[in-house]
Amino acid sequence: MSRIKKIILVVIPPILFLLVFTYDIIRATTNPLEIVWLDFAREAFIIVAFVLIYLFLESSRANVKQAATKDVGRLLIVCAVALSIVALVGFVGPGNSNQNEEQTGYSAINIFLSMVLGLCLGWVSLRSLLTIKDLVLFKRKKGTKRNFMLYLILLFGSVAPMLPVFSFETNLVGTLFFGLTVAAIVANSFRQNWIVYLSRKQKIYVIVYSALLFTGFVLLNVLFFEKTFTNKALLAFSLPLHRFTQLNAIFGAVYFGMAFVSTLFHLPTAEVFERKQFEITSLHNLSRLVTQVFDFNDLVNTVTQMTLEVCGAKSAWLELVKIDKEDFTSFEIVSARNVTRDRIEQMNGGEQTSLRNLVIESKKYLLIEDVSADRRTKHVSAEKLLKGSLLSIPLISHGSLIGILHATKEFEYGFDQDDIDVLTTFADNVTIAIDNSKLIARSIERERLQQEMMVAQAMQRRLLPESLPTSDKLDIVAVSESSAEVGGDYYDFIQLPDDKVGVVVGDVSGKGVSAAFYMAEMKGIFLSLSTFCASPKDLLIRANEALMGSLEKKAFISLIYAIIDTRAGTVHIARAGHCPLVYLSGNEVELVRPTGLGLGLTKGSVFVQATEERLIKLREGDICIFYTDGITESRNANGDEFGSERLVAVAQRSKNRTAEEIKNEVLQEVRKHVGSPVTGDDMTLVVIKWLAKKGVRV
Amino acid sequence: MADFKIHHREGEGVYIIELKGYLDAHTAPDLETAFQKLLTEKKYRIIVNCRDLTYISSAGLGVFMAYIEDVRKNKGDIKLSNMSAKVFNVFDLLGFPLLYEIYKEEKEAMTKFKTVKAS
Repeated sequence: MSRIKKIILVVIPPILFLLVFTYDIIRATTNPLEIVWLDFAREAFIIVAFVLIYLFLESSRANVKQAATKDVGRLLIVCAVALSIVALVGFVGPGNSNQNEEQTGYSAINIFLSMVLGLCLGWVSLRSLLTIKDLVLFKRKKGTKRNFMLYLILLFGSVAPMLPVFSFETNLVGTLFFGLTVAAIVANSFRQNWIVYLSRKQKIYVIVYSALLFTGFVLLNVLFFEKTFTNKALLAFSLPLHRFTQLNAIFGAVYFGMAFVSTLFHLPTAEVFERKQFEITSLHNLSRLVTQVFDFNDLVNTVTQMTLEVCGAKSAWLELVKIDKEDFTSFEIVSARNVTRDRIEQMNGGEQTSLRNLVIESKKYLLIEDVSADRRTKHVSAEKLLKGSLLSIPLISHGSLIGILHATKEFEYGFDQDDIDVLTTFADNVTIAIDNSKLIARSIERERLQQEMMVAQAMQRRLLPESLPTSDKLDIVAVSESSAEVGGDYYDFIQLPDDKVGVVVGDVSGKGVSAAFYMAEMKGIFLSLSTFCASPKDLLIRANEALMGSLEKKAFISLIYAIIDTRAGTVHIARAGHCPLVYLSGNEVELVRPTGLGLGLTKGSVFVQATEERLIKLREGDICIFYTDGITESRNANGDEFGSERLVAVAQRSKNRTAEEIKNEVLQEVRKHVGSPVTGDDMTLVVIKWLAKKGVRV
Repeated sequence: MADFKIHHREGEGVYIIELKGYLDAHTAPDLETAFQKLLTEKKYRIIVNCRDLTYISSAGLGVFMAYIEDVRKNKGDIKLSNMSAKVFNVFDLLGFPLLYEIYKEEKEAMTKFKTVKAS
């Protein structure tokens, strides 16, 4: 409402009334001619003024949306004030008038009083019209507004004939319309929807208010039918207004009379209605469940809390099915409210009497209306574990039972069909939420494992050598293909003094990050020991001592270490539980397998005594192939391993080729053997070909 | 792929575990559970019959390493028997025969237990 409009609505009516008052005084004192159009203008002013007041009242109501009870209460105040003024006028007025019943008398005071009366009653009428309009249209249906408009039209039809322009004949029309208007009043008075939504306290207020309003409006009506001063005064002021006020007073009386009766009858159901409203509001909070799927404990605790709220239960608990590795099914109570887990177990009382079984078998809800009377809960009531009623709802996901939700009430027959319906719907939502929670947990776990694998793979790559040792006497090639599961293969080279080259290939047991860690440790130990261990056996013994302290019981490392003396043309080799060396020389091939124990299995003398060293004298063209079991254990679809025989066969076939070619041949044969992409273990291959013309004798 | 079963037997105060199938990182936990159970029940004289064992990985080998110490501390042992050539090779490469008694036949292992059984 713009300010200009507001100003107009507030300022104009008083001006109009002032004009009317002035005109009345002049007419009363000077007795001019009866000019009809002046009277008509006078009425028009009054009507316009009241229309503006109506618009003002309506707009100020629109800004503040008020509760029905408060609105009715305020109307009561308005009524009370108005009636007081009417009473005052009625008291003061007659004293000033002549005993003449023809007219109220022309005294200025009486004119003033009748204007006051008119304003007052007009105000009450408008105010009550607005209140009743809001109440009637509360939660309206299609026809409601139409019916109310009908009343307004008929009201207009009753009031309009009262204007000075119309003659007495038309007053018959007015009377007809009067009757119809009253009929419309009665029809509209049945619209008492707003009462249903009141709380118990509000209903009591409304009973009092409507009783008083009924009385007030009845009093007003009485005033109109009696030959009272007020009646005459109002008629003198404005006939249309009189009719208007009369009809609105009838509406007020009938409507609030009906309201009084309706509210009285609704009172006993107030409590039930309130409870249902609360339960519905609780159900709206189901959306809470959806957001809590990230924390399982929060979720299950919210579930039991909400169970208490949506059906007004005394206690509630949720148990979920657990299936362990041996397919054994058990129930775990994940959340309980107002009851202890011990008590719940006592109530279940063992396999025979367990109520769970009834739910599991039927996959339907179980309702015990009276715990003390039902034979299924005989043991429960006998031991005074529970009294009242019990409702158990199964949680079914994809056709199988994943849990049961229980609720109890203190009194018998406490769960009605509404409660069962609400709780079963609630249980469906709980099932979905729990499923989602599990899915998310699994997804997070998978993500975590993937991350771990990526870290392990990155670590592993960093630990492998970036470059190969250079020597014009050696043709060296090395490759390590890590599997998706990161197996722990390791190889390394070290340039040693006196033109010696150290070669190590190893396999850490286990997978993932822990294998990668051990590999890092191994590399550190190897690099530091190799600088001062002249013999491979020595290095392995020291490495074993170092590792025994840090490897866990289950873990061990297999290793093969060779020191190639490029001046002397020899290979010193020792093997700690690793695959043997494939050594090709001329037309012969040997799997060089000095005895040895894996690192980390045992310490002390057993290891020392078990470790053997070999010395090989190299001839030109000799080939040493180091590998890990990822090569020999690669399986095809039938489960056949590639095996060391095939490895040897490939090596022999390609013995005249370069190290690179030999390596490629081996890998190609492995891939051919396996067929589909290779998974499983890491594969490592180090091929060294001795290029020197003749081994220098030591 | 991993098909793995454990069968328990008992005879003359010795507890025999028969391994069938594929022992790798996925199935190793089952063997761990079996050993754990025997230890809890204070059964320290154990023979592992590997006749139907088709494959063993480092994870499987690690399981033996995890329990052997406790078993021997309680004057018991884990003896192995009836390995196929392929499976024996895996144990042998690592040097297990130096740490464990591995027999061709279960009854040899049984006899060993009986001769050791003092008192």
